[in-house]
Amino acid sequence: MSVLTAVTVQLLVVLPAVAALAGLLLRRMRAVSGLVAVVAAAVALVLAVLEFAETAGRSDVVDTFGPLPVGELQIPLTMLADRTSAVIAVAVAIVGLAVQVFSVWYLRDDLRYPVFAATVSLFLAAMLLVVQSGDLVLTLVGWEVMGWCSFLLIGHVSARESARRAAYKAFLVTRVADIGFVLGIVILAGGAGSTEIGTVVAHWTGGSGTSTAALVTGNPTLTAALVLLLSGIAGKSGLVPFHDWLPDAMEGPTPASALIHAATMVAAGTYVVARLHPLFAVDETSRVVLGVLAGLTMVWAALLAFAQSDVKRMLAYSTLSQIAVMASALAFVLAPGEAPGLALGHLFSHAMFKSLLFLAVGWLSVLAGGTAFVALRGRALGRGALYWSLAIGLASLAGLPPLVGFFSKEGVLFAAEESLDGPDAALAWFLLIALVVTVGLTAAYCTRAWLLLTTEREGGLAELEAEEGQAESAEEAAPAGDESPTGAHELRPVTMAAALTVSVLAVLTVVGGLLLIPLGSGIHVGLVMAVVSLVVVGLAFVGVRAMGAAGHDPAALLGPAAADLSDRGFGFDAVYVAVGRAVTALARLVVRLDRDVVDAYPRGTASLTGIAGRAGEKAHRAAPSTGLLAVVLGVVLVAVAGVTVWH
Amino acid sequence: MTTRDIVFAVLGVIASVSAILAVTTRNLVHAALWLVVGLGTIAGCYVVLGAELVALVQVLIYVGAVVVLVLFALMLTRSPMGPNRDLASPWWQRLLAALLAVSVAVLLAVTLVPLVGEGALESKNGNTKAVSSAIFGTWVWPFELLSVLLLAALIGAFALAKIAGAGLVRRPRRRRVRPAPRRPAPAAADARATETPLPAEPAAAPAGASPSNREGSRS
Amino acid sequence: MHLWLPMLLASVLAGAGTHGVLARRNAVLVLIGVELILNAANVMFVALGAQDGSPMQTGQTLTLFVITVAAAEICVALAVVLAMFKLQGHIDLSASPLLTSAEDSAVDEEPNR
Repeated sequence: MSVLTAVTVQLLVVLPAVAALAGLLLRRMRAVSGLVAVVAAAVALVLAVLEFAETAGRSDVVDTFGPLPVGELQIPLTMLADRTSAVIAVAVAIVGLAVQVFSVWYLRDDLRYPVFAATVSLFLAAMLLVVQSGDLVLTLVGWEVMGWCSFLLIGHVSARESARRAAYKAFLVTRVADIGFVLGIVILAGGAGSTEIGTVVAHWTGGSGTSTAALVTGNPTLTAALVLLLSGIAGKSGLVPFHDWLPDAMEGPTPASALIHAATMVAAGTYVVARLHPLFAVDETSRVVLGVLAGLTMVWAALLAFAQSDVKRMLAYSTLSQIAVMASALAFVLAPGEAPGLALGHLFSHAMFKSLLFLAVGWLSVLAGGTAFVALRGRALGRGALYWSLAIGLASLAGLPPLVGFFSKEGVLFAAEESLDGPDAALAWFLLIALVVTVGLTAAYCTRAWLLLTTEREGGLAELEAEEGQAESAEEAAPAGDESPTGAHELRPVTMAAALTVSVLAVLTVVGGLLLIPLGSGIHVGLVMAVVSLVVVGLAFVGVRAMGAAGHDPAALLGPAAADLSDRGFGFDAVYVAVGRAVTALARLVVRLDRDVVDAYPRGTASLTGIAGRAGEKAHRAAPSTGLLAVVLGVVLVAVAGVTVWH
Repeated sequence: MTTRDIVFAVLGVIASVSAILAVTTRNLVHAALWLVVGLGTIAGCYVVLGAELVALVQVLIYVGAVVVLVLFALMLTRSPMGPNRDLASPWWQRLLAALLAVSVAVLLAVTLVPLVGEGALESKNGNTKAVSSAIFGTWVWPFELLSVLLLAALIGAFALAKIAGAGLVRRPRRRRVRPAPRRPAPAAADARATETPLPAEPAAAPAGASPSNREGSRS
Repeated sequence: MHLWLPMLLASVLAGAGTHGVLARRNAVLVLIGVELILNAANVMFVALGAQDGSPMQTGQTLTLFVITVAAAEICVALAVVLAMFKLQGHIDLSASPLLTSAEDSAVDEEPNR
């Protein structure tokens, strides 16, 4: 049986990679490459489901190439197949298949569609590698390949300057953050003498495997390693201060955003922390850092999401906020494996409803010709499947029962509530308040989005002024929603396949609660917190409706400056640019030092040699032949003398 | 005398004769070609001594590269291709040189031959595998230093070619070619008679068949 | 085989090489002589290294090193010769060297013989 598991897991990772290569080689044949991509994603889904069936109640270690011979450090390069990895693999495969099928229609007019499909396949392979990895080295490999694919996909429309800039920004920010990630991994693996995750965990937790409480006083090496690791995870997942790349990453085509920046890549950090959670459980400092960053991000992003003028950017900020919610669950320590299970539950449900929302928005944007709210006002009305998909998606995001979003969010709230009387009480209170505020804000922006998408504009002078301000910002934002290089979407009817994928995702969002049960932690709904959150959601709904009465944009009440500030992310981009400038200035200084200080010595030797040469030349006047004769004559005379004396 | 002795003796004789011819012939290109014969024969001697790797390297580098470089240099310095009287040194120089050469050879023979006495060479001591292990084992640091040396030589040669070609060295005022200062006076007249003019000065009317090209020196 | 044969060969080669260095006026031919001297040393190395009990394969290894150094040396030497040719127009070693620094006091502008 385990041979089957081994083959399943290996194929699961290798097949999409092979499909990516094939798609790249076949990129002139559009239909064939599309077929290869879709088939690969479908087979990956089948394999993931197979893995799910096989890992009922047990876990397997799967070999890949065999261990790397590196001397003292053990690098077994194994993959792990257990329930958790199977469920997340299924989620990734579902979203991957949905995205591949959807982009066949969505990118019908794009000449570079085959390259896009191949990159998505490669990304799937990398993400599945991270999910299935049982070895820190494999995780790192998958992590970095995902970052590269993200760069390629964001900058897919490379003719556009803003897309290129966004791609560079995403790549550089995550890469700089990954420095900490790599250092963390090195410290963890170096200390444990092996890169296998199980061994690392056992080593650093003192062999107890999973600890239920932070019993030991902090090990500073472990704290340093985990905090460094967190910096990489903050980069990939968009926690403050590495968050500003994600809204700009919406320059990429919507299916790419659905796959990468909503469902999978940004959640990869959560997955890695969940796998290493026993280490976080024994180290309080890292959990506090994680919790603080998560709490700040979730509230900040949700605030910013409210007044956005572009629906995709709103969804991006919403993603930032929800990832922070997932990550906050990991800051708690409950029963062994419970907190990670809750976090992964929210990861799963977020993958479902966020990809649903992105694909639905993509569909809508094709019909409406853009992704700015101004262009999309009232377009969702009467669209049948699209209308219901959007409704389900937004409701799940807001956390309405019985959709999957409700259950997963309640799980996280449950984790916070349970920790209120534990050793992390302060952190738990902070996160609980942040979570409740986030729930309210999430409901607020969901309601706003719903209102804007389903109600027509109504006349009114104040209304028109607000519209003017919005229109200007929308014009700047509108190009962000156009994916074709010519800058205009043609209205074309949706294909059955694309519509079907959106509908399937919607169905999964509804019944997804059932799929959460196998995730090891099941469904936890605390009564108090459920009531609190429902009340908060209700209040937000009513409040925003009131703000948006008579067809206003609810955000218009905050004034045009608010919209502008939120669109620019409060100017956080300037911070990144300043950091970049500082580094460049330092690099110039180093170059100057190297050239004028360090390099002066070798150049000095050259001048010295020249001087010595000229001096020697002045001392040497004879013709070479004569000189040679004289020298050899002298040598021979000395040698004759020596030899005769010796004999 | 074993077979090996005889083979080595034959090869040695060929090598010595070609070496002597290489240094005495008046034809420049013939000198280089006799050098090829000599070096190739020495490679054969190495094979007889059991050093196959060294023989191969000798052929590759000495015969294959060094002699080619020498030929290139001969061509590039516009040396006369046929037998040439111009490059004959004065007779006294050749006599002195021969004397010194013979004394060097005799000195070495007198020192080295008694050193080995009747020593005989039985074993196949240095097979290629052992030599390779030695080079990359015991001798790895000198080996690496040699790479640096080769790099330095490469850079130096390149720099020299570039400097000379670009004329970055300050062109000095032209000087006449003076004969060697320590020549005894009565022989000076003879020397002048026997020596044919050298292709040195642009104003000189070359009497010999030296087609020296002035453009190169006048850049 | 008897070891005095290689020794004799080495001596003869060294002698021939010395003659080449001393008796020739053309710089390239002098270099040929130098190569012969180096080969003499190599023959000696290989012969002595082929004896029983020669440690660390010194004979053959040092021979390979000498070949390498000779290759480097002739590369640079020929570059110098070419530079000399470009500068002076000849490569005659029995001529006074052309100095590149401040002029000689006895500057003679008489044409070459």
